[in-house]
Amino acid sequence: MEILIIALPLIASIISGFFGKFIGDRKSEVITSLLVSISAILSALVLYEVIVNNYQDNIIIATWISSGSLDVNWSMKIDSLSAIMLVVVTSVSSLVHIYSIGYMSHDPHKPRFMAYLSLFTFAMLMLVTSDNFIQLFFGWEGVGLCSYFLIGFWFKKDSANTAAIKAFVVNRVGDFGFALGIFLIFYLFGTVNYSEVFELIPTIVEKNIIFLSIEINAIDLICLLLFVGAMGKSAQILLHTWLPDAMEGPTPVSALIHAATMVTAGVFLVVRCSPIYEYSELALNVITVVGMSTAFFAATVALVQKDIKKIIAYSTCSQLGYMFFATGVGAYNVAMFHLFTHAFFKALLFLGSGSVIHAFKDEQDINNMGGVWKKLPYTYVLMIIGTLALTGFPFLSGFYSKDAIIEFAYLRGNTTGFYAAGIGIFTAFLTSIYSWRLIFKTFHGEFNNKNIKVEDTHESPMVMLIPLILLSVGAIFAGYTFKELFISHGVAGNFWQDSIFFLKPLSTEHPPFWFLILTPILVISSIPLAYYLFVKNKNLPEQIANVNKPLYQFLLNKWYFDELYETLFVKPSKTLGLFLWKFFDIKLIDRFGPDGISAFIKRCSLRASKFQSGFIYQYAFIMLVGFSALLTFLIVK
Amino acid sequence: MTEIGLGHYLILGAVIFTIGIIGIFLNRKNIIVILMSIELILLAVNINLVSFSIYLDDLSGQIFTLFILTVAAAEAAIGLAIIVVFYRNSGTIRVEEIDNLKG
Amino acid sequence: MIAHAIFFYVFSIIAVISAIMVTVSKNTVHSVFFLILDFISISCLFIMIGAEFLGMIMLIVYVGAVAVLFLFVVMMLNVAQQKNQWFNSEENSGHIPVGLIISTLIFFELIIVVGGWQYKPNLLGSNNISITNEISNTHSLGQVLYTDYIHVFQISGMILLIAMIGAIVLTFRQREGVKKQSYIKQISRERVDGVEVLDVTSNKGVKIDD
Repeated sequence: MEILIIALPLIASIISGFFGKFIGDRKSEVITSLLVSISAILSALVLYEVIVNNYQDNIIIATWISSGSLDVNWSMKIDSLSAIMLVVVTSVSSLVHIYSIGYMSHDPHKPRFMAYLSLFTFAMLMLVTSDNFIQLFFGWEGVGLCSYFLIGFWFKKDSANTAAIKAFVVNRVGDFGFALGIFLIFYLFGTVNYSEVFELIPTIVEKNIIFLSIEINAIDLICLLLFVGAMGKSAQILLHTWLPDAMEGPTPVSALIHAATMVTAGVFLVVRCSPIYEYSELALNVITVVGMSTAFFAATVALVQKDIKKIIAYSTCSQLGYMFFATGVGAYNVAMFHLFTHAFFKALLFLGSGSVIHAFKDEQDINNMGGVWKKLPYTYVLMIIGTLALTGFPFLSGFYSKDAIIEFAYLRGNTTGFYAAGIGIFTAFLTSIYSWRLIFKTFHGEFNNKNIKVEDTHESPMVMLIPLILLSVGAIFAGYTFKELFISHGVAGNFWQDSIFFLKPLSTEHPPFWFLILTPILVISSIPLAYYLFVKNKNLPEQIANVNKPLYQFLLNKWYFDELYETLFVKPSKTLGLFLWKFFDIKLIDRFGPDGISAFIKRCSLRASKFQSGFIYQYAFIMLVGFSALLTFLIVK
Repeated sequence: MTEIGLGHYLILGAVIFTIGIIGIFLNRKNIIVILMSIELILLAVNINLVSFSIYLDDLSGQIFTLFILTVAAAEAAIGLAIIVVFYRNSGTIRVEEIDNLKG
Repeated sequence: MIAHAIFFYVFSIIAVISAIMVTVSKNTVHSVFFLILDFISISCLFIMIGAEFLGMIMLIVYVGAVAVLFLFVVMMLNVAQQKNQWFNSEENSGHIPVGLIISTLIFFELIIVVGGWQYKPNLLGSNNISITNEISNTHSLGQVLYTDYIHVFQISGMILLIAMIGAIVLTFRQREGVKKQSYIKQISRERVDGVEVLDVTSNKGVKIDD
């Protein structure tokens, strides 16, 4: 039965991809949504089994590679970690499929879109249910590929194509580190199956290896390399540049890939490899610093962005930073909890913003929106629910997960922990500000759009609203319901069992009360502040911006990362490529290779053809010359 | 020098042979000259054979010369017939204009 | 012996000069004439050396038949007298030096054979058809030709026959518009071809298509 979970999306993708032209748009939409929804229901059943009956299994579907000491199988490993991910992936995916039926109703290429969505789901499921690093890498690459397809879905737009390539290339950089990590694992242990690797880790704790002439602890190196891959996939700082540009794709794509699933693959990787990471202090500290910096960086940039989807994209980046920073302090289960809740409310926010864009007839700049909260009631309410959950408003799901992260950071006790907790709180404040900025500018104030009239904006159809409603249910209740399950503080019947490894168990204390209350107060108080800034006194933000012009420009241009990478990497590669092509390829290799040889042969054959003059006396002469040569040779001999 | 031996006849034959060969490929006039040069070559061979026959006291040289004569006549006839027909078809027997084999 | 030498030199010089003139002359008819002169001088040489039958045959066959054939063809083909393009022509006379070199090479090789040869030790004993002075050359040739070499003789007859047929076949063509009598057509004529009975109405006459 479990095999159906991963087989159904694949079948859906094949049917819609290859036969979509024959069976028609409506049928392919329905078939894919149906099959993925069945997959979601089956995943829920599996999760139920895991929770209630502690069900665990490692189903081997087929042997993939069996070569020397490398044995890799196609397999499905069901344990608590993968069960959670199964539910997240399939449920968000099925809701996105249904939403796309409505959102893409004007698009002529519906079957292709549905096929890509289902293929992506399949790849993500392969990633999540693998029991060895190679299948994980297969799924990793598969989601990267589908991300390329989906971001560049409107391939006639130039910007979409470049964004898709950018996403793929930046991911590639991460994948390179990831592949090096897998090679190192195989080199050290001779196997790539999780169970065997995790058993063998404690045996090489003291081992150092030489990498690029630096002596480094082997486990540290493995963790760092694997984390490079996670950085690429989850858009952490330094490899984040692709995420905002990925908003060129349709909104359902952003909701599925860049909110709930692909970007969380990095977090999943770190949590799955917790047995390795627990042995490496260095890597954990690096992860904490990176996660924290990303969270801060993304939140500052989101403050000044104009495009509604980019704001939410940076918000995702920031929340991922939180998740990584949770893993960095050793609280893997909290990271997974945040991943779980984040999937719901971020997908809700993205799909809601899609609804807004649809209502404003494809307008994405929030400066050109405003004052429609009465006209789009459902969307308005649902977006508010999502924002409340995102900012960590008390008793919604984000509150439980995000505050748990900050708590555990504090409980670490060392300076990194305190520092991280402080940044976490400040970032939560920033998160709240920009999220409410988005709501107020989009729905309140005056109607600013020059292209359409207020009367033309209308609510989205039911087929788009139902997924939003379902997601909002998750956003509201998922935190409270699953809190005990995920963050069971040592209660009997531990949910996670073997899927996460804790070298030393997590602290069960609670931080002081003033600390606990700090974040909610900040969050709640930011709502009137945001209201004042963006509705009541509209000029104040502008004045602040004008006073700090350099800072404003710095934030608006995303900390100039794109420009930095352009000069550091893109321009040199381009020049190098151009030089190699013009000089080496054309002048050298072609000249001595194909072109040269063919020209030479042509010249030779032109000369040789002059022998055939057609004059027989010349032929006779040649024969005579040959005859005399032979004669001379015989006489001289 | 005054004693004519076999060598003299052989040298004579060689000279005529060489002249015949020169005539084949050094002429740019017409094909009939080529055929005449072939006749010269055959003549040189005849001289050789006959001189050997006389000096070695053996008649088979002359017999063979008879046959060479026969064959030379037949070949000249056929060759000229071919030239006639070729002239009918292409209108020229100048050597430089016959380059149908040109590749 | 001096006479022998003088005659030899005279005839051979005439032969060589006329051979050269065959290839060099501007006029093709002149070339044929020089060829005839060449044949005559060589035939005289043969007679002098003692092979008189062959000399006579050469005169009859070569000069009387082959050279005349050449003459006929040359005159029929209307070979135009052309500028001598053998030497001092502007375009490609580059082949001449090379050709002369090669020819001299061949000549010297032929001479080397003369200089350095030796008889086989028992050469004279190997073949037994010897020339005697009692019977004439013709007689002795006849004695050998129709007995030992009869097969070759017949085959050469065949060759001549084939050559004759070949020459006729190659150059034969039907001429249009020549009125000839074909007796086969005459003999095989039937009454139907010749007589046709027509019904003539009086006063009307009959049309005879002709």
